[in-house]
Amino acid sequence: MLEVQDLKTFYGKIQVLWGVSLQVQEGEIVAIVGPNGAGKTTLLNSILGLVRPTSGSVTFLGRRIDGLPSYAIAEQGISVVPESGRVFPDMNVRENLEMGAYYAWERRKEALAYVYQLFPRLKERERQLARTLSGGERQMLAIARALMSRPRLCLFDEPSYGLAPLMVREIFEIVQKIREQGVTVLLVEQNVRRALEIADRAYVLENGRICMEGECTELLESDHIRRAYLGM
Amino acid sequence: MTIKIIEVLITGLLMGGLYALVAVGLSLQYGVARILNISHGEFIMLGGLTTWALYTALGVNPLLSLAICGPVAFILGFVIHRTLFKRLLASSASPAIFESNSMLAAFGLMFILQNIALLIWGPEIRGYSYLVIPVHFLGTLFGANRLLTFGLALVIGLGFYLFLSLTRTGKAIRAAAQDPPTAGLMGVNINNVLALCFGLGAAMAGIAGVLISMCYPVHGVMGLEYTIIAIIVVVLGGLGSIPGSFIGGFILGLIGSVVTFFEPGLALVAYYVIFILLLLVRPTGILGR
Repeated sequence: MLEVQDLKTFYGKIQVLWGVSLQVQEGEIVAIVGPNGAGKTTLLNSILGLVRPTSGSVTFLGRRIDGLPSYAIAEQGISVVPESGRVFPDMNVRENLEMGAYYAWERRKEALAYVYQLFPRLKERERQLARTLSGGERQMLAIARALMSRPRLCLFDEPSYGLAPLMVREIFEIVQKIREQGVTVLLVEQNVRRALEIADRAYVLENGRICMEGECTELLESDHIRRAYLGM
Repeated sequence: MTIKIIEVLITGLLMGGLYALVAVGLSLQYGVARILNISHGEFIMLGGLTTWALYTALGVNPLLSLAICGPVAFILGFVIHRTLFKRLLASSASPAIFESNSMLAAFGLMFILQNIALLIWGPEIRGYSYLVIPVHFLGTLFGANRLLTFGLALVIGLGFYLFLSLTRTGKAIRAAAQDPPTAGLMGVNINNVLALCFGLGAAMAGIAGVLISMCYPVHGVMGLEYTIIAIIVVVLGGLGSIPGSFIGGFILGLIGSVVTFFEPGLALVAYYVIFILLLLVRPTGILGR
């Protein structure tokens, strides 16, 4: 479904990605894990058109999307839950959700009913400004917003970042639920254990290169992962 | 004495309505497109002088000029953003650099527009009389033209508020003001929204110019004064808030009217004093965050 080929990205003169390749099949949850500063967010931003890769290609459903502006990439059916949610603070919950259906505006009523059924708590706070929500609620709003366009693929950038453990568990349950709804998931996470528990496959990104990849069950057994990320 | 007070207060409110309209346009350009448009007042001047020219040469009703100047100013603003500011945005390394570059470019634009107007119309002060029919109100007398422009300013301001609150494009504008990259990820074409905002701001200025010309004389170098008033009102009310622009406009109009009652020459001085006090005490404005 999504194929990234030999992606190289620079920030100014500093090279961040050194030829990253990965694949996501329809219906999968694929995780990208790795330490801070490994280039995980840059990788997502390169896929989303927020930074332009210098070389390599990104193909979605057989179509090249690298080099397209981010609004055109969104229109292809790729949604994102940005790091720490990035909801629109001075818009209410409903307006935030409506923005998620920006390019599918005619279907926004059905989409609202759909996400309210997934997140009843958002329905209760419909008229509340997003800035007044708690961190967990904001993250939920960001996820619901990403689902409003009924995307084929949903990208998550560190969804557990800064949340309390109970909330983290809830968010990961939601990610699994979303996959059951037929949405393919690409999950970028620092919480390696949790990510490997819910994903099917994972890529380990270190210093801008993929250093390991495979089924999560295998990765959880590997010495490198156990030592570097799970503290065993 | 009470009648005098009422008269000063109403004069202030009437003036404030126009100030608010002028400020809403700038608030949009600075709040969303991040351009502190020093040439904002020039669009007001162009609206005013065009209306005067159409009225005196062809007898065109100033109300009809609203329907001409608004769209023309919009197109002018939209094209200027597409050709000039879009490029500046692409070549600026950071938002802060874009803000200073775009302000300098707007300065240049101010001189260009001002001199075009001087070439066409010369430096003379122009005026025409339209609807100068006295209307009795609480024992005071006001021209029907003043009441009409006030009413139109309120209607246009309210209409614009509803546009931003209720429509798809309006919501996209607000989202783009709060977080441009994230709005882009939702599918909003940011470059289009920015050009739209700059165009709408120019249209507001053009419309305000038409309304101003119905009540006050206009001339080629009137623009900067209104730009400064707009900046003060925007800071007073809080950047990006339309209700804030109206509150700020009314406050400034009232202050201007009271000061003018005692000493006509000091109104602009009073505005600056308010501005400096505001920056010291509450730089985010009344409704700002």
